[in-house]
Amino acid sequence: MRRGVLLYLGSRLLQSVLVLWVVVTILFLLFRLAPGNPLVAYIDPTFTEEQQQTLMRQFGLDQPLHIQYVVYLRNLLRGEMGDSFFQRAPVGELVMQVLPNTLYLTLTSLLVAYVIGVIGGVVLAWQRGTRWEQAGVTFTLMTRAAPQFWVGMIFLMYFAFRLQWLPSSGATSAGVIFDSEWAKLTSLDFWKHMVLPATTLALYLHGLPLLLMRSNMLEVMEDDFITMGRLIGYSEWRLMIRHAARNALLPVVTAMALGIGYSIGGNVVIETVFGWPGLGRQLVRAVSASDYPLAQGAFFLIALVMVLMNFVADLLYGFLDPRVGSSERAGA
Amino acid sequence: MRNRVPFKLLGLITLVLLILAVAACGQQAAPTEEPAAEAEPAQEQAEEAAEEAVEAPAGEPVTDITALSNVQAADPIEFESTRLVVENMRKLGLNVEHRAMPWEQQANLVWYEREDWQMTAWRMVGRPERMDPDEFVVNLFHSTTAESGYNFVGFSDSEYDELALKQRGITDQEERRKVMYDVQEIIANEVPYIFIAHPELPFAFRTDVWNPDSVVDAQGIGIKNFWTWTQAEPVGEQKDFVTNTGDVIQGINPLYISGDADSRVTELIWDRLMRIGPDGLPQPWAAESVEWEDDVNVLVTLREGMTWHDGEPVTPEDVVFSFEAPLSGEVPMYKPFVDKIANIEIVDDGAVRFTLEEPWVAFETASLAKLNLVPKHIWEPILKDLADTEDNAESYQEDIPVGSGPYRFVAWKPSEEVILERNPDHWAAPKAERWILRIIPNVESALGQLRTGELNFLMEFEGDPTVLEDVAAQDPNIELVATTSLGFRFFGLNNRVAPFDDVNFRRAVAHVVPRDAIVKNIFKGFAVPADSHVSLAIDYWHNPDLSHYEFSIEKARGILEEAGYTWDDQGRLLMPKR
Repeated sequence: MRRGVLLYLGSRLLQSVLVLWVVVTILFLLFRLAPGNPLVAYIDPTFTEEQQQTLMRQFGLDQPLHIQYVVYLRNLLRGEMGDSFFQRAPVGELVMQVLPNTLYLTLTSLLVAYVIGVIGGVVLAWQRGTRWEQAGVTFTLMTRAAPQFWVGMIFLMYFAFRLQWLPSSGATSAGVIFDSEWAKLTSLDFWKHMVLPATTLALYLHGLPLLLMRSNMLEVMEDDFITMGRLIGYSEWRLMIRHAARNALLPVVTAMALGIGYSIGGNVVIETVFGWPGLGRQLVRAVSASDYPLAQGAFFLIALVMVLMNFVADLLYGFLDPRVGSSERAGA
Repeated sequence: MRNRVPFKLLGLITLVLLILAVAACGQQAAPTEEPAAEAEPAQEQAEEAAEEAVEAPAGEPVTDITALSNVQAADPIEFESTRLVVENMRKLGLNVEHRAMPWEQQANLVWYEREDWQMTAWRMVGRPERMDPDEFVVNLFHSTTAESGYNFVGFSDSEYDELALKQRGITDQEERRKVMYDVQEIIANEVPYIFIAHPELPFAFRTDVWNPDSVVDAQGIGIKNFWTWTQAEPVGEQKDFVTNTGDVIQGINPLYISGDADSRVTELIWDRLMRIGPDGLPQPWAAESVEWEDDVNVLVTLREGMTWHDGEPVTPEDVVFSFEAPLSGEVPMYKPFVDKIANIEIVDDGAVRFTLEEPWVAFETASLAKLNLVPKHIWEPILKDLADTEDNAESYQEDIPVGSGPYRFVAWKPSEEVILERNPDHWAAPKAERWILRIIPNVESALGQLRTGELNFLMEFEGDPTVLEDVAAQDPNIELVATTSLGFRFFGLNNRVAPFDDVNFRRAVAHVVPRDAIVKNIFKGFAVPADSHVSLAIDYWHNPDLSHYEFSIEKARGILEEAGYTWDDQGRLLMPKR
């Protein structure tokens, strides 16, 4: 049995590594085969042939493709992702400058969305067939379908520009400098800037856990053990929370793990509307400017976290639901 | 369930191998090319059209034309203008296709596939150092820049070449102006470009923060300029400039020419010997005086008592270092601006003599007012270390950039903002306390922030200028200043390929560009029609008597007819019979 678990873990790990290699290779080719050339960003009346060649050499683009690929893989194994073509700094450094902001925003919204979503799902399942349920589901579907930039712009218009309750752009007010990351995180200014983008994002994100939770609940409530509980005479509340919700939570946990994975890439739309200094904007810029190292590095990081979170979700699943693990073991 | 995993893996591996194979084929087909330049459908079509073009015999229909532009979402003005002109070209009996593509792709084609396109929309932007026409006059059309420089239209005219270089050596301004007029005349007659318009740059600021009388409007550049940043007077509690850009700051480096927003920062931190004044003429700045001893010797006397932000004095040695560093090979982007300097020597305590290889009248504008003065004690060791590596000064980022300029570096929060503070020790210390550049990618948000006061100077507005006009009209505390740019928009006609290798054809097409309608309807009035690469905004150099290509389909047809072009029964334009 122990051996089975190890085998399972080992094969999952191997798979993860393979997936990453595939991702890395596709990324490498994707950017180089796409039309466009990083040098076009430097086009200027004073741009000389000599400068063009210097840049090609510095960027390593004067080498044949397969050599570039080998160099790229070798560097990646050493943990080096190269220097950005335009910002001229190590990719890891550039990504780390904005990654924390992305995580603050997306994790906050994710947390809010899942807490509200899970509770909302339980309540709606409980209120099955009532007007509340109808209204709740309709509202959720609307928030899920509404374009984020539109919701964001409406929020900006009302709360930032008309009522002027909240700041409109950035993660801090103009010219505010914090001594440390901790000082920033504990400041009111930072959280005020967080409210609008996080709300916009959470409004979009909460639909998934809510609808998932609701349908799971409805399914679980049909199960024999709930009927059994009812016969025993447990209160509705106890049944709902202790028995039904707990069982219905399982797929939601998986969804959340994957959600964290997705969130690492940031959210371009929200970051652009609210000027949030996150990874999403950097990524889009890197792609459009053919900044291969930066784009590759950032996407690789996203892939890494996604694969990792998938792995974690698998493990969690086995942990939360013993049946999953046993079937896997049986298969192995 | 378990059984499916090997299949998935197999699928993935196959996919990767497939992609690798495709890539390898691409490699073999074009072994010397860099892979980024792989053909795209749009590119292919343009190439095919251009290839056919060469072989079109007399009496045959004029080859199909592909006109390139940016996509509508990224540059609506360029897209709409191109669409309008393409429609008019069809009225001449031409088969014209409008191909919109992202700028990166368009630039790649225009710049690196010089034989493979026919016509493209393009733009030049205004910069202070372009107030002297030298840069545009030489680099845009001199035949030596046709192969790999900015003369991507492949214009070649020996008379033009001669005059463009001749003006560099004429120290008498009146005489130089005559030559400048002549070169503009040649371009107007030969039509390598069809000029469309000089945009009017709309910038706005809050009058309850900045005294409107102290905001400086620079010719051809607008109120977003060095003089405003240093001279504007705060009227109330808010003494900080809070302004915006949609760009990312790529570096704060005196030896790297990166983005436009970056230049706004570097010009405040680092001094230059001269600066382009609001009138467009270079004036001494860190130099006390600039004196031409003869055609090639320039004596520059350094202002006394200047210090670097770290407290060290600014010395003539620093000046020499700043101008010699680009020759070391570690500062490639500034090399073209010092190339013509033969020698630099320190004369006595405070003076430096520049000796030029040959007379170069644009030296003040293009070199003295262009290079940043950098501290030798900081950059010399850095350049020494870089000499042994692949990298150069462009990839070096100081933790705390040190210059001698009117503002000092405080902080740079990537993707968020750059903060500078006034340098009280500077001889021209700014009236503002701080200069804060916020990175705001959302145009509507920037406009909203100007209204709430979160921003007090809008130095970038890519949106509809009439919206900004309305906002300024509604709010008495917001003032809009629109300045005619020395930059311009145009169509580049590829002089190398048919049908644009015929000057008569180019002239005819110039007549179907409705400049006035474009200015009125597409620019919403925020532009003036253009007719030269030397902007109306620099009225001293602009030739007022250029032949105008008024909008007239009849005139266009007349020119074609005279040149021997004919039309077939279906109204298609046919090549002249030779």
